[in-house]
Amino acid sequence: MILVLDVGNTVITLGVYNGMQLQEAWRMATIRERTEDELGILVKSMLADKGITTERIEGIAISSVVPPLMYALERMSYKYFRPSPVIVGPGVKTGLNIKYENPREVGADRIVNAVAAWDKYGGRPLIIVDFGTATTFCVLNGHGDYIGGVVAPGVSISAEALFHRAAKLPRIEITRPTSVIGRNTIHSMQSGVYYGSAGQVDGIVSRIKEDMPELEFRVIATGGLAPLIAEESEEIHLVDQNLTLDGLRLIWDRNQEKGV
Amino acid sequence: MLLCLDVGNTNITIGVYEKGLWTAHYRIATIRERTEDEMGFLLKSLFAQSEMDWSRIEGIAISSVVPPLMHALEKMAVKYFGLKPLIVGAPGVKTGLNIKYENPRELGADRLVNCVAGLEKYGPNLIVVDIGTATKFEVLNDKGEYIGGAIAPGIRISTEALYHRAAKLPRIEITTPPSVVGRNTVTSMQSGVLYGFAGQVDGIVRKIKQELGLPFRVVATGGLARLIREVSRQIEEMDDNLTLDGLRIIWERNNQGSTAMKTEA
Repeated sequence: MILVLDVGNTVITLGVYNGMQLQEAWRMATIRERTEDELGILVKSMLADKGITTERIEGIAISSVVPPLMYALERMSYKYFRPSPVIVGPGVKTGLNIKYENPREVGADRIVNAVAAWDKYGGRPLIIVDFGTATTFCVLNGHGDYIGGVVAPGVSISAEALFHRAAKLPRIEITRPTSVIGRNTIHSMQSGVYYGSAGQVDGIVSRIKEDMPELEFRVIATGGLAPLIAEESEEIHLVDQNLTLDGLRLIWDRNQEKGV
Repeated sequence: MLLCLDVGNTNITIGVYEKGLWTAHYRIATIRERTEDEMGFLLKSLFAQSEMDWSRIEGIAISSVVPPLMHALEKMAVKYFGLKPLIVGAPGVKTGLNIKYENPRELGADRLVNCVAGLEKYGPNLIVVDIGTATKFEVLNDKGEYIGGAIAPGIRISTEALYHRAAKLPRIEITTPPSVVGRNTVTSMQSGVLYGFAGQVDGIVRKIKQELGLPFRVVATGGLARLIREVSRQIEEMDDNLTLDGLRIIWERNNQGSTAMKTEA
């Protein structure tokens, strides 16, 4: 079994693969101060809850956009699981051709998404939209080359900012209101956040398409709010919630010596 | 001479109106702890700087969405200008707007003022977009009634939140990037902010038009409205003075026959 960890700025998503099949998945808050022991015990209990002992974990793959947690995660891998982890970054084979000014600057999460999307939906140009702390857009051409991207403020952090910065506005639940025209403050904010986010995605995707009219893109969305936003978006073709975990599983494979 | 103050969550916009014109504009940071004396001195120094005779100020109109500052602003008006200010939303203040909100008192003063100005300057069937700390959308129907709106996260606060919450992302300047698809982190973020917020505005406006099945004129105001308008497909007009004009109109509606506006004829 392979354990994969996708460390985002807000949430860490974990998954266990049996072969290429995702068997279990969990989410935990990204707390930058957590030690290897805290992480180890937490992961171990999550596995134990599903009857999985640590001995059955043959490999670990990690992608992280949170540098302060890397040390603890690496130590956790050695101390609680033994196998040395594959950490997405320089020196790790991904199979992705990155045409960015400085390829090291592309966030690990975006690389992993691109790897999975090309494997699962490739053979044609792709745009991958990931709804996380940031809403990221990755653009792959018809050869699977990563040709660039877009990073916009995420849905939840923007809604939180509104609550913190505007004296009279309350905290709201992100949901799809029945009507775009709100008749009270909460409804108006839900409308602005929800329809505004769908508009944000469609505005960016439609402009990428106009900029590259020769490419016929398929648009894939992932991340916690993807199903909700996809209901309203006119540009998202399909939602794949496991994209990042699947990408980590693939990258783990690509970094094993033959016979292991 | 009329002094108008639009107190937002990030900035206070100040305008001086005389003889049919805005003769002076100032912007100061919204600092919730400021006292009446600090505000009074700041305003007087700004006026002195533009060689303006503040003793000619005959009226003060204020709209505020920041309750902690109201007391200081009211005291400032009395202590430094000898005037009782008109405060939008206060009991007895007429706006002339027919508000079809569930609870009309819940409608932010800035939104109300924008509607009054929008209706007066552009007529009914109007969507007003104010791009500030929040990006606010107001809908005025064919009868000129206010029927509701939307409040979305503003450009600057969302972009700041991204910088604060994402460990590896830098603080960026909000500007037009060389292309939609970025090839480094900064241009990727600039693209996401500009085209994302233009998309936010366009998406909401389009949805409002769809929901009501009516054509609307779309007017935008607010600090970053000009930048967004360059790439937006729904914003038709820009009006930098919309909120201040709304304050002036409300003041006039509550002071008919007073001397302050007589020069206007």
